[in-house]
Amino acid sequence: MIPSPEGRPDDTDTELINRWKAGDSRAATQLVGRHSQALARFAASAGEREGIEELVQDTFVRAFASLDSFRGASTLRTWLFTIERRLMLDRRRAERRSRETVPVEESDHVSEYGALDGLIAEEAQERVRKSLEALSPTQREVFTLRVQQGLSYKEIAEVVGSTEGAARVHYHNALKTVKEFLKDE
Amino acid sequence: MNKCINSDIQEMLPDLLHGTLADDARKRVEAHVATCESCQEDLDVLRTVKSAAIFAPSIDVDGVVRQIPPYRTIVPAIERPASTRVVSWLVAASLVLVVLGGGSVLMIQSKGSQASNSTSYSQVQKPVAAGSEATKLSPQESVVVPKTVVPVVAPNPHALALAADADGLSDGSLVQLMNDMDGFDALPGSEPDPVISVDSGDSL
Repeated sequence: MIPSPEGRPDDTDTELINRWKAGDSRAATQLVGRHSQALARFAASAGEREGIEELVQDTFVRAFASLDSFRGASTLRTWLFTIERRLMLDRRRAERRSRETVPVEESDHVSEYGALDGLIAEEAQERVRKSLEALSPTQREVFTLRVQQGLSYKEIAEVVGSTEGAARVHYHNALKTVKEFLKDE
Repeated sequence: MNKCINSDIQEMLPDLLHGTLADDARKRVEAHVATCESCQEDLDVLRTVKSAAIFAPSIDVDGVVRQIPPYRTIVPAIERPASTRVVSWLVAASLVLVVLGGGSVLMIQSKGSQASNSTSYSQVQKPVAAGSEATKLSPQESVVVPKTVVPVVAPNPHALALAADADGLSDGSLVQLMNDMDGFDALPGSEPDPVISVDSGDSL
């Protein structure tokens, strides 16, 4: 079957990847358009506030540069989340190192997730934000990937470098915490 | 309200929210949730969390795509064309040939040099043994003679005469010879190796 010159919205990620490798730059546009907002939401829900667009861009640049190593064992989005998460961890480590050399200021005592203050306007969103703030970083990653991104436990385990069983436990503990928090509010 | 014990259904609640369940599974979950207060409560919480997606900036797709290098610029670094590989093999083979050829030439030159050394060595030996009945030296003598480089390095008329007549000497003459040898000048401490001395003698 000869692929149509124009990108079809129902093209699979694998088809788009093959088209991009064949020199079709529009396939890259489709892939980025398909996954960029999910990556941005994941970064935001994981506590990133500044440079989310740059982070998403770095994720795609790195992913496309090593696309030959993507074997399709997981979905492309899961693979992208994995790359983005590693970049976020690298960025946080770098920030931590720089803070060791820079005098600590009052504003630095705001928690990582607390940096999202002011970004969520609605009252319900504010309650959800606070409930998520009560979770551990791993619980928060697992819970948001499961609830907001709809990933399976297998995919979440790949992203966070854990096991399906551990991801399931993190999810249920997170759900219990969030439910109790929202009930008490 | 009792906690739901149907863990299979609980596990599928996020999937129900995202509409990723197959039809039969979706109907089964929906039927359960309709009668289970605990799962209804969980589903409400999940729906609230999902709808309260954290604010994220919109991404400039074209800007991101512009930063992505084209695939063809990545390929050559990973997989080189066949012609490049052939050239590499030819270069490697040429280097091997040069090394082997050079080694062979050096070995041949080295053997030729040894042969000429042995020839000159015999030429040096001849005057030593000339005039003597024992023109064929025993192995011990043939080893000893080069070490006594006196005739070559420090030509001494006594030494030549003594060496030429050594075979026919009586005990008394030998003692005299030993005494004469004690009177020779001491060789310098930086005296070259006897073999080199033969070479230097050859050049004389």
